[in-house]
Amino acid sequence: MALKALDIYKLLPKKNCKECGDPTCLTFAMKLAGGKADVDLCPYLDDNAKSVLGASTRPPIRLVKVGVGERNFKVGEETVLYRHEKTFYHPPGIVFKVDDTQPDEEIAAITRRVRDDTLTRVGSELRFNGIAIENTSGSAERFAHAVSVVEQQQAHLPPVLITTDPAALSAALVHCGSYRPLLHAATSGNFKEMCSLAKLHGCPLVVRADTAEGLVRLVKDCTAEGIQDLVLDSAPENLGAFLVRSTQVRQLAITRAVPEFGYPVYLDCEKTGFQDAGLVLGISKYASVIVTRPLTPGPAKAALTLRQNIYTDPQKPIQMTPGLYRVGTPDKNAPVLMTVNFSLTFFTLQGYLETSRVPCFMLIVDTEGLSVLTAVAAGKLNEGLVRDTLKKFSVENEVTHRKLIIPGYAAPISGRVEEATGWKVLVGPRDAAEIGDYLHETWKKEAGA
Amino acid sequence: MTDVELAKKQGEMQLQGRVAAISGSFTYDETAYHLPISFALTGTAVHDKSASQAVYAKTGNNPIVASECLLAETTARNGKEPEPYTGFISDTVIRKLGYSLVDGSILGLALIVGRPDSAGTAAAICRELQEKYMLTFLAGEVIPSLSSAGVKLGLDYRLIPLGSKPAYGIHFVDIIARVAMMFGGVTPGDTHRLLAYAAERAKAIVIVFPGLTDEEVALVDGMRVLGFPILTSRGYEGGTWISAGPGDIVRKGMDEKGIRVNVTAIPIPMGCSPAFEGKSIRKEDMYVEFGGGRSPAFELLRMKDAADITDGKVTVIGPEIDAMKEGSANPLGIIIEVSGKTMKKDYEPVLERRIHNFVNYGEGSWHVAQRDLIWVRLSKEAVAKGVKIEHIGKLLASKFRMDFPSLLDAVSVTIITDPAQVAAMKKEAEVIYEERDARIKGMRDNDVSTYYSCTLCQTFAPNHVCVITPERPALCGAISWLDGKIAYEMSPSGANQPIEKGTAINVQNGEFEGVNRFVKKASHGEIERCSLYSVMEYPMTCCGCFEAIALMLPEVNGIMVVNREYKGMTPSGMSFSTLAGTIGGGAQTPGFAGISKNYVLSDRFLQGEGGIERLVWMPAQLKEELKVRLEKKLADQGKAGFFEKIADENTATTIEDLMVYLDSIKHPALGMKPLV
Amino acid sequence: MTYDLAFGWTGTIGTVTLGATKADGGSRKVSWQIGGGTTLPFMEPPPSSPSPLIAFEICDNPDYWSPIIRNYCGDIVSSPAEWAKAAEQSYGADIVRLYLTSTKARNFSDIASVGKTLEAVLGATGLPLIIEGSNEPKIDSEVFLKCGEAGQGEKLLLGTAEAGRYRSIAAAALAYNHAIIAQSPIDINLAKQLNILLREIGVQRDHIVIDPYTGSLGYGFEYSYSAMERIRFSALKGDADLAMPMICSPADTLTIKEVREADAKDIDDVAIAWEFYTGLAAAAAGAEIICVRHPKTIGMLRAAFADMKKLPAAAEVR
Repeated sequence: MALKALDIYKLLPKKNCKECGDPTCLTFAMKLAGGKADVDLCPYLDDNAKSVLGASTRPPIRLVKVGVGERNFKVGEETVLYRHEKTFYHPPGIVFKVDDTQPDEEIAAITRRVRDDTLTRVGSELRFNGIAIENTSGSAERFAHAVSVVEQQQAHLPPVLITTDPAALSAALVHCGSYRPLLHAATSGNFKEMCSLAKLHGCPLVVRADTAEGLVRLVKDCTAEGIQDLVLDSAPENLGAFLVRSTQVRQLAITRAVPEFGYPVYLDCEKTGFQDAGLVLGISKYASVIVTRPLTPGPAKAALTLRQNIYTDPQKPIQMTPGLYRVGTPDKNAPVLMTVNFSLTFFTLQGYLETSRVPCFMLIVDTEGLSVLTAVAAGKLNEGLVRDTLKKFSVENEVTHRKLIIPGYAAPISGRVEEATGWKVLVGPRDAAEIGDYLHETWKKEAGA
Repeated sequence: MTDVELAKKQGEMQLQGRVAAISGSFTYDETAYHLPISFALTGTAVHDKSASQAVYAKTGNNPIVASECLLAETTARNGKEPEPYTGFISDTVIRKLGYSLVDGSILGLALIVGRPDSAGTAAAICRELQEKYMLTFLAGEVIPSLSSAGVKLGLDYRLIPLGSKPAYGIHFVDIIARVAMMFGGVTPGDTHRLLAYAAERAKAIVIVFPGLTDEEVALVDGMRVLGFPILTSRGYEGGTWISAGPGDIVRKGMDEKGIRVNVTAIPIPMGCSPAFEGKSIRKEDMYVEFGGGRSPAFELLRMKDAADITDGKVTVIGPEIDAMKEGSANPLGIIIEVSGKTMKKDYEPVLERRIHNFVNYGEGSWHVAQRDLIWVRLSKEAVAKGVKIEHIGKLLASKFRMDFPSLLDAVSVTIITDPAQVAAMKKEAEVIYEERDARIKGMRDNDVSTYYSCTLCQTFAPNHVCVITPERPALCGAISWLDGKIAYEMSPSGANQPIEKGTAINVQNGEFEGVNRFVKKASHGEIERCSLYSVMEYPMTCCGCFEAIALMLPEVNGIMVVNREYKGMTPSGMSFSTLAGTIGGGAQTPGFAGISKNYVLSDRFLQGEGGIERLVWMPAQLKEELKVRLEKKLADQGKAGFFEKIADENTATTIEDLMVYLDSIKHPALGMKPLV
Repeated sequence: MTYDLAFGWTGTIGTVTLGATKADGGSRKVSWQIGGGTTLPFMEPPPSSPSPLIAFEICDNPDYWSPIIRNYCGDIVSSPAEWAKAAEQSYGADIVRLYLTSTKARNFSDIASVGKTLEAVLGATGLPLIIEGSNEPKIDSEVFLKCGEAGQGEKLLLGTAEAGRYRSIAAAALAYNHAIIAQSPIDINLAKQLNILLREIGVQRDHIVIDPYTGSLGYGFEYSYSAMERIRFSALKGDADLAMPMICSPADTLTIKEVREADAKDIDDVAIAWEFYTGLAAAAAGAEIICVRHPKTIGMLRAAFADMKKLPAAAEVR
């Protein structure tokens, strides 16, 4: 059980020295309680306080960084089993895998694709995260060559090097050792050599074992060798095994019952025999590094979107950027529909508007992500906001009419909006599903009048 | 004139004799429930003399059981009666009838037996039952009487002729027994549940005309056990039957059984929808106005006895719209009288506030403020369409019934435009307002044993449970204890549930055993304890909607409050939004509590920490907002002058400045028991 | 040291039976029982809880259906009976879910045709059926009465009850012993409230399937995902009013821009991917009936479910 801010405060020096960067000890205690600060920032803690606070405020799952530069990704530092309890913080890195036996041009093309492919959704750029190279050939030379081909593309993508042969790994690290590649994998047979390579190059290391006992033992062995940045591969042979082991690791890690499980989880979808299902379950059930074969367009977009959905903070709805959005190619007589910038509201309305096939404008006002009902109740959605937004985006230049359709739940402010803007306000339906009928019937009549 | 008690006794004896003489075997086709009443009551399948007698004896010589067995015997011997009589009705049809009952397309069931005085009387009663979505069964001479008046009979007309004699009314009971078994989960032989179902779930009434034999009187009277009201307009005396005039008998029966017709459309020449709520009526669009300082006006909603209210009645006292000059201001009194089995006097002000919404729902009617401050306008457009004062009354009467179907049984509206009467009634209303204020003001947490929960915010704050008490409104400021209570009455399975507070664990902190139990359950086991009046120990969880946050400032041994509107930095080193992000989401964070702004005015505020003297800092704007009320309260408590000691952003925005300031003014919190 | 998980659940997901075979008074070739789970989805060894069922969705007026599916399935879509037969024999579904989209037509009044369609579909397939009744409150009463009657004895699953609109469907369930889908708009509390309303009207718990509503992937699916996880969690924690199996239909994915406007050559793959990703994630969150509209999604889901049911030998989760 995590300590509450008050309990933490009691252990702090209460000097308000500000040396931790926070204005008061209370503020620092709040951050510690939320896992957003490190105990070591406080210079005046006695050892006893430090150990008590350290054990209970340090993130139960270690944050591990893979790669360097702009495209590096960080995983771990998760605190819950269900996203609704708080949120999932660090989206898994999804890594495309190539074999070192593939032709150079194929390896190069896949690398460039991961470098360039971008899906823009809800104002975020979604990308795949890295390239995994598997030593399928068994040859150290071939492996090193394949890695060099990847690096030649200047993609600066985090690499994952898949081989249990220390010699092959050593050869490959010549090409990318300083880029913090993820090394896969240390096993009971090779961990000493793998650890020394990881140490030498300062790389995170995956440990692989197919039982809980085996994993715990390996983690102990590797930490004893001085490696802290570990990732766990429970070598699931099927999807069921993945679900059970991954849940086990997450649950026992966040409850701090098994500290050796306090590391991010690795999943190679191919090893389960199910690429798409592996991705779905990996994303939703606690995998932090997911290795997959390159995806075709359908699954590629679906996977990125699912990851974005699952890793959205459930307590903070995604907000749309306020502005004037077009549905179809609206002309100067097209209807203007105002609504809030809560993304779910926006997308729901947009979907129904597209289905209605009536070209129109959507005027999105900034309610800080509140829904219509809440924004009206809280006074956030008011006539001043609507007036200012109409002006800011020069809506009067886009249409010749002066009619604004507002959501049904915003009806209580319709009169005031009319006064403030001089636009005629039409109250639309409460349910977005009815907007099509509304445009076809009421708006048509109104536009004709 | 038949004496019911006497006839019943004789009838029961005759039935006993006839049951003893039953012979042969008898069975109904098209049912899986044998003789349904006997089967439902005892679980025995009756098909012959011995079983009949056994069940009859087992049910204490019940006249209904006797009638069922005897009619089955008769039907087996003589065959079914010819058309139009239906006789025993098959399971397939019952299933359809049951469907319509659950579905709500039939509101209830009625049985009419006997011989009406005239065909016209019977036809009028049947028409009323049809209009009120009742399914009516007929037995005896009422049937030929209706036919002679040209009334069409049959399932499509919701009038079902069971048989030529009142004794066929027994089928009415076997239908209800089967509905109970098919739809009500009543297992055959479970007498207790059958009776409970018949009394509570089956919405059935019986109307009796003259001409029943003693046996038939015994049968009908026996139905009282099932909770059916027996109504008659003439011909019977004694007993416990309800008498009612022919014009009143259906309404009385339905009232008695609690069968309500839902209003769906409002017959007025203006649109009525929440979509019109925010439309204002400008001066140039206005036809007439009332109140708003231009003329006397008030509104009042009060509870009355059911007997004193005619549901749906709208009265206008004084000139109608056509007698008012365009553009004029006129006096107005809106008086709404309501009754309902679960209605309570405490709900009056909450319902009264709805007048505002409802009048605004009208397309062309506009309303602001409340009580004797109201301001109402009617638009030119509406008046041109034929809208009158009376229609506003109709709108109100209908909307109250539609929106509070389970709370209100009857609503009547009186609208006064006569100046003298408005003046007189306004005085009366003002007395009532004062009484209400006194009552609500005086309401203390200790006066009630039940608090209310609000879990509306669990959508995004999964374990948040708001506990609402008379002195501590919901932390969003939007729901008072009374609101919670009414919301629960209207929607018993909704987000506001009653909490029996139980015994006190810590009086000062406001921790109660019952509250803890409820909070643990409603938070899915996450929150074990909850103190209603403490910020430091087990404070209530925070969703995200709180109007303000109260939090400890250990350096100054005090508590500060910051409201949502304040965007600047606070002495805690955190702004409102940083704080909100840290403590929200349904967590319990000792030292921090989400509160409503008005809670600062409550005697319970900071009780756990030793009282309002703990308050060290509050944004200037919030201070200003609360100033008048808070200063008065402090003065009443002998703490005049304390208000000035509460710091704000003008005196301190850092903890260091605050410490200096509080020291300089000798703030009482500095000398209180240590917080941490 | 043991690494087994112990959640300390106290509740069990209730069971619901769909479809009645001859032995039970119906004419279905199979009857399914869903529910019965005692821990998180896919965490317990078979046979204590079965794999999720895969329902194939069809309709009786394809004008209201996605052109992607119309093009893929071909002429068959104009005959609900033929389409249902294909769902069983060619596509390999577990259940057929028939949407009576014909009732969407303005002023629809041919109630008898609903009964005929239902009878034809019952005749064409031996699979249990889900029937989605009227789209118009005014005709609810007649449509559900017809559905209830025509499917008497078959243990249909009838859809869809909502908070403001559940009486007719509850009546049909009670009168003709069918189960019903109770849908609430992605909110655990509203889901619970509706279940209580249904209980009050007499519908037994083992006749209710919860539909927390599935928002499309990318358009609110995260809310649905968490609503499902929370319902399952509350049920296992002992909340009997939420302890019913859940159904998920990712039908909305076919209408979103990413799918609707995909390149013609990719469009089937895109549609399948979005249905599959949504449906499988929902199953991981606890849904036990996954509905699809693209025939090719069925095989993918089935293979994945079978593999998810395989467990590592030693695992124990309580």
